[in-house]
Amino acid sequence: MATLDQKSPNVLLQSLCCRITGKSEAEVAHQFQYAVRVIGSNYAPTIERDEFLVSEKIKKELLKQRRETDAALFSELHRKLQTQGVLKHRWSVLYLLLSLSEDPRKPSSRVGNYGALFAQALPRDAHSTPFYCTRPQSLALGYGERSTGLSASVGTSGISSLGVYTLNGPTPTPQSLLAGQPPQSAGAQPLGSRLAWALPMSSSPSSALAPPSTRPPLGPPALSSRVPRPRRDGDTGEVNEVALVRDILYVFQGIDGKFIKLSAQDNCYKIDSKVVLCKSLRDTSSRLAELGWLHNKVRKYTDARSLDRAFGLVGQSFCASLHQELKEYYRLLSVLHSQLQVEDDQGVNVCTESSLTLRRLLVWMYDPKVRLKTLAALVDYCQGRKGGELASAVHAYGKTGDPQMRALVQHILSLVSHPILNFLYRWIYDGELEDTYHEFFVASDPNVKTDRLWHDKYSLRKSMIPSFITMDQARKVLLIGKSINFLHQVCHDRTPPGKITSASKSADTPKDAAELLSDLEGAFQEKIDAAYFDTSKYLLDVLNRNYLLLEHLQAMRRYLLLGQGDFIRHLMDLLKPELVRPATTLYQHNLTGILETAVRATNAQFDNAEILKRLDVRLLEVSPGDTGWDVFSLDYHVDGPIATVFTRECMGHYLRVFNFLWRAKRMEYTLTDIWKGQMCNAKLLKTMPELSGVLHQCHILASEMVHFIHQMQYYITFEVLECSWDELWNKVQQAQDLDHIIAAHEVFLDTIISRCLLDNNSRSLLNQLRAIFDQIIEFQSAQDSLYRSALEELSLRLQFEEKKRQREEEGQWGVTAEVEAEEKKRIQEFQETIPKMRSQLRILTHFYQSIVQQFLVLLMTSSDESLRFLSFRLDFNEHYRAREPRLRASLGATRGRRPSNI
Amino acid sequence: MASAANTNLNAVRETMDVLLEISRLLNTGLDMESLSICVRLCEQGINPEALSAVIKELRKASESLKASENCAN
Repeated sequence: MATLDQKSPNVLLQSLCCRITGKSEAEVAHQFQYAVRVIGSNYAPTIERDEFLVSEKIKKELLKQRRETDAALFSELHRKLQTQGVLKHRWSVLYLLLSLSEDPRKPSSRVGNYGALFAQALPRDAHSTPFYCTRPQSLALGYGERSTGLSASVGTSGISSLGVYTLNGPTPTPQSLLAGQPPQSAGAQPLGSRLAWALPMSSSPSSALAPPSTRPPLGPPALSSRVPRPRRDGDTGEVNEVALVRDILYVFQGIDGKFIKLSAQDNCYKIDSKVVLCKSLRDTSSRLAELGWLHNKVRKYTDARSLDRAFGLVGQSFCASLHQELKEYYRLLSVLHSQLQVEDDQGVNVCTESSLTLRRLLVWMYDPKVRLKTLAALVDYCQGRKGGELASAVHAYGKTGDPQMRALVQHILSLVSHPILNFLYRWIYDGELEDTYHEFFVASDPNVKTDRLWHDKYSLRKSMIPSFITMDQARKVLLIGKSINFLHQVCHDRTPPGKITSASKSADTPKDAAELLSDLEGAFQEKIDAAYFDTSKYLLDVLNRNYLLLEHLQAMRRYLLLGQGDFIRHLMDLLKPELVRPATTLYQHNLTGILETAVRATNAQFDNAEILKRLDVRLLEVSPGDTGWDVFSLDYHVDGPIATVFTRECMGHYLRVFNFLWRAKRMEYTLTDIWKGQMCNAKLLKTMPELSGVLHQCHILASEMVHFIHQMQYYITFEVLECSWDELWNKVQQAQDLDHIIAAHEVFLDTIISRCLLDNNSRSLLNQLRAIFDQIIEFQSAQDSLYRSALEELSLRLQFEEKKRQREEEGQWGVTAEVEAEEKKRIQEFQETIPKMRSQLRILTHFYQSIVQQFLVLLMTSSDESLRFLSFRLDFNEHYRAREPRLRASLGATRGRRPSNI
Repeated sequence: MASAANTNLNAVRETMDVLLEISRLLNTGLDMESLSICVRLCEQGINPEALSAVIKELRKASESLKASENCAN
């Protein structure tokens, strides 16, 4: 018999059936069929195939029964078994033995205890619930530890909510029933038929009655004694209470009874008006019938929604939680049914203390009614909501003072929020967004390309933020996932997400979700904060280390904002001959060559090659009459991750600012040239006293301009650029995430733009300034022509003197009358041009001064404080104030006010 | 060849003894023959969970049968 020959499983099964039942093959045909069905339907084991685990479980079981010696003996035997190696599926055999084992101290109760029937036979089939699929281990354990009550490992949330349920009120559900898992799809047989099968087997009715009568919290005994005996006197015409109870039990499930039917027009269950019934019974039963209505409501919702795929995961888990609650309710009903059955078996005349009456039902069903009411209200409130919105709705219902209700809603909420938390963890730890039904509060736009990923791709879906997550947390969550995606897609950083954040643990079960929900301020916030901090820091590190973000920022400052003085000056020197030409004759490659020369000759050459290669020349669009000065611009190429900070708009701003600064710089440069000319020519032209007035005029105007431009330059360099730069640099150093840097940078650019008078508000100011600049250029050309003619005249006079001297040396007359007359005439002509020059200069000066005055007036009325200070500085000696009454008024007002402010 | 078969047989017998002992320890209520059938079924890769469910079910059925017979008697 011990040969392990290969017979077919069916043959073996049949012999097993015979063996256990002790019947012949023909008699066990029914059982055999059942066995084949069960085995066939469970071919794939739901448990782990681990021999070690099984043996450990056996040992634990033995230890629990305080049989330490046996446990030792078992380990010995197990070792022996392992050494022999005849069996291939040792774990399987061991597992079988373990599941068949029974505690010898427990009274053997193989039959009759239908609680045990649920508990033992059914969990094997109950893998349609999702929780068992994920944790098959707990199932097996739960079976073994059932004797010690509710074990933690069986404690999926379904049970935990149930625990509250049984503890808090009298419920007619026997404890032993609770331990087992309800049959969701109980093999082939529905619950009712199982009960029917189990009940008649009990040889004595008391054993079947045992669970209801022994349940401890069944309500005070005083109450049951007060319950009036149901009338069973066979009153003809009047409905028997037992029949009514039976009806009610059907109504509880939403099925019309014999007397109580759903009235379509009133939308409630009503007792048939034709039925003769005393008022109290009628009242009681209609109160009970409310349960049926509530049940229908919840049922309708779940039925309608569970098939709707577009309802999303959150909705599905909401339906699942409702189903769970309904299941508890059905279980209760089945117990009541079975009791009714038993009573029927006993016969109507036997009336025990625990028989079912309407009043008793009223008491027992009180708690389920409250629960169903809550569920129905919840269903009403959640109508038409999905995703995070749904979770918010459920969360709103959890704010109640009733602890039972709160527990119920909390449990539902933990199930409902589980998918959301799953999304969240996927998002913040892996950066993945698997949100087919748009339920999560982070939305992604697939049309956005990677270059705008940071700015446009992801956004918050405000309506889907569950109310238990604050806006701040939601923003952080968005930022974390965005950073991860940015790292992957833009920075091409392939670091596994686990390395960025250490605690990459996801919510595996709804229980974890429940724990998190209960501690939103603490653990959850901490988790998000940690992930936020780590991810952002890592991102900034990558940007700074691999992509030199800060260096680029500094390069912008140095090149586009003219921070590198020697380079800019040298570049201007080199470019001057090129730029005075008309813009159409400029060629980019020539300018690029000059740029390179300038870089090589100055300190810029020590900069990072990465930065220098991005530096380039750009020619702006040429309009007719432009010179090179108008169209020349430096450019800085940005791409990849850096372009996220230096966006296209930012670069546009930079170019505008550069243009402005370049212009101002050119004015300074021009004025330097003017001054140089004055210095060089002053001595030469001393010999022409008639010019001294004009020259003096020139000098005065030039120094006025120099003063103006110097003050402007001071303002731009120190009050605008350096201040804003310092602010930006501090912010960038303290930035926690990329958004901070981007924001700081944008603020920086905005301040520069507005303070450099480049924004729309100060357009008139800028126009005035441009006009001043134009005056400077004009003055330069005027002075140039003046000097040219003066020098020409000078050289002619020198020639004349030279000739005179030469002739005298030769012994002739130095001058003849006609030559002298000619000379005199020329000098006369020259001297006649001098008043013209003077008037030209006077006009220029007048224009210039009036423009500056207007500029000052505009500055005074400007809202920016730094601009008002600039006007004060420009007119420090009150030169313009004396000329312009408007200035006098406003300046006086400001000065008058100042002491009072201090 | 014969001796090999013999040692194999011995090993099998020993294994069965060990298993019977474990079964006794765990109080499974299986006798030698049932156990050997079960072991053979398990060796064929049948899900032990299902098998144990079947055995329990069978036991209940047989007891209820007996009970009903008693009632009939």
